[in-house]
Amino acid sequence: MTEHGHHGAEAGHAEHHHGRNALPAILGAPSVVAAWRTRAAIVAVVFGLISLVFLFVPGGRAHLLRAYLMGYMTIFNFCGGALAFLMVQYVSGGKWGQILRRPLEAMTRTIWMIIILLLPILLLGKHLYQWMAFPTTQAKLDAYHNGLMTHEQQLTAQSKVAMLNPTAAWVQAAIVLGFMVLVITILNKWSVQRDNDPQAGTLASFDKWRVRFENLSGPSILFYVILMTDFVIVFVKSLDVTWYSSVYGLQFLVAQGYAVLALGVMTLILLSKYEPMKTMFRTTEQHDMGKLMFAFTMLNIYLTFAEFLIIWSGNLPDEIPWYLHRIHGGWWVVCTADAICHWVIPFCILLSRDIKRSKAKLIWVAAFMIFARLIDMWWLIEPNFNDAAGNLHLAGNLGMLAYITVPISIVALWLAYYFTELMRRPLINVNDPHTEELLEPEHAH
Amino acid sequence: MPPREGVYGLLAEFNTPSELVHATEMAHRAGYRRMECYTPYPVEEAAEALRFHKTGVPLMCLMGGIMGLITGYGMEVWVNVWGYPLNIAGRPLFSWPAFVIPGYEWTILFAGLSAAFGMIAQNGLPQLYHPLFNAPNFRDGATTDKFFLCLEAHDPKFSPTDTRAFLETFSPISVVEVDH
Repeated sequence: MTEHGHHGAEAGHAEHHHGRNALPAILGAPSVVAAWRTRAAIVAVVFGLISLVFLFVPGGRAHLLRAYLMGYMTIFNFCGGALAFLMVQYVSGGKWGQILRRPLEAMTRTIWMIIILLLPILLLGKHLYQWMAFPTTQAKLDAYHNGLMTHEQQLTAQSKVAMLNPTAAWVQAAIVLGFMVLVITILNKWSVQRDNDPQAGTLASFDKWRVRFENLSGPSILFYVILMTDFVIVFVKSLDVTWYSSVYGLQFLVAQGYAVLALGVMTLILLSKYEPMKTMFRTTEQHDMGKLMFAFTMLNIYLTFAEFLIIWSGNLPDEIPWYLHRIHGGWWVVCTADAICHWVIPFCILLSRDIKRSKAKLIWVAAFMIFARLIDMWWLIEPNFNDAAGNLHLAGNLGMLAYITVPISIVALWLAYYFTELMRRPLINVNDPHTEELLEPEHAH
Repeated sequence: MPPREGVYGLLAEFNTPSELVHATEMAHRAGYRRMECYTPYPVEEAAEALRFHKTGVPLMCLMGGIMGLITGYGMEVWVNVWGYPLNIAGRPLFSWPAFVIPGYEWTILFAGLSAAFGMIAQNGLPQLYHPLFNAPNFRDGATTDKFFLCLEAHDPKFSPTDTRAFLETFSPISVVEVDH
């Protein structure tokens, strides 16, 4: 499109004296992404090796597995959250979604790693989950008689046995991850086909693909939320088999959005030093994403606090121990840090318009938000176990440090995969009317 | 207090927002500061050209929010701990989680009202008389399909002749002198 005339019909389009940017010649990821991948791989290996030390520390093995679960759920949240965001931006439209699309697609294509890394959890699950350690009615009864389960745990585990047993866990994992593979594969395939459409750039092509993506994404969002809720109940919440919370899945969904948005913004800001993002990633879209980060910060504390307030008000013996295990015995410090890092700090910082528009500053906020996610995941997982419930201690319990090294290693490994996938496609989806709009200059002079 | 008699300013009328923003930007670069854009719908670019984004509204909103938080939370604490202490399910009188929701509601209420009324006050509203309505083309066009830039007479750079010549370089539909 050439520079439009002085009396152009585009109402509201102010920059007739500047004209629009040209689409960058190279749309692929800059070569620096390969360097990031190498760095991530080095971090993964180094922290992986450090983690091996915990094999020889008393209590280290148990903590290695728990820390592995924490690392696994963190990357599951990245992959699943990216899928959710990808579908939402197809349904909602908007330029923020267009610029974020290829990084989100790259995150979703790490699903194969999510599948493979689940195997150790399924295979070693009896060290994590009571319902895997004692799968049968008789085993549960024996465990109760031997003092390995409380009476309540035995009865509740038995009543939930249809969902919580080793076979059901495999089946549920297969269904959830199978559904994710299906949707991820189709969305990624269509995205390339869309760019290669012979009619690319025409209104007919825009409409055809928009409708097609909308029709897949709309129902899939619903299915994903339901299936993801099932997945986190089986693999995280069931660590404490006696507890109930109907907002659990939604909390994970919001946490996924929180983490993925932070990671997406970090990716875009880092990429924006190089073409094509140097041209394409405008302050307007960054500001929009900053606002969305703010919204997720708010939504996260809203759900988390609402859950606490309801359970605190009810004060029922079925529910309240879950919180007591996470408040007493030193955990108070962690849950306070969780609230401060998750909400107070990002909330106060993201109130500022200038920070949301500053690349140098927003990237640190995003990094901090990902750090906050890790505190939260630790606080969710560790107090489920008898040795840690209401009793946070490091003395004679050095295995706890595995919660630092193992998740770092797993997340770094995942990042290496993510960067690999990021390099495999142009960073901009060209056959989308929003691409043209992203090339318009901003109103900031 | 700006003068209440004589010329209020020079009002240039444009057909498109693009021209308005361009003229505003150029006027800013030329050193004019006392100026205002009038458009039938919000034109973000015009606000940018006026360097309008740094207003007192965010601060008022923040102060209102903090006031609301202190008021709402403080009221809950006072009522429950000192005013009407009641034993509710054996909980401590200072049961902070229960006070969060009212504290939060007061925060957003005060913040919202402060932002709205602060904005209205900063806009100089309610205002029963504005000199620009003396210009017939403004009365007819400002809320329908015309875009206006007014360079005001109390700007130190304002001159009835030079400013008019300056505005006319942007080929407006008209440049009208508006009286108080």
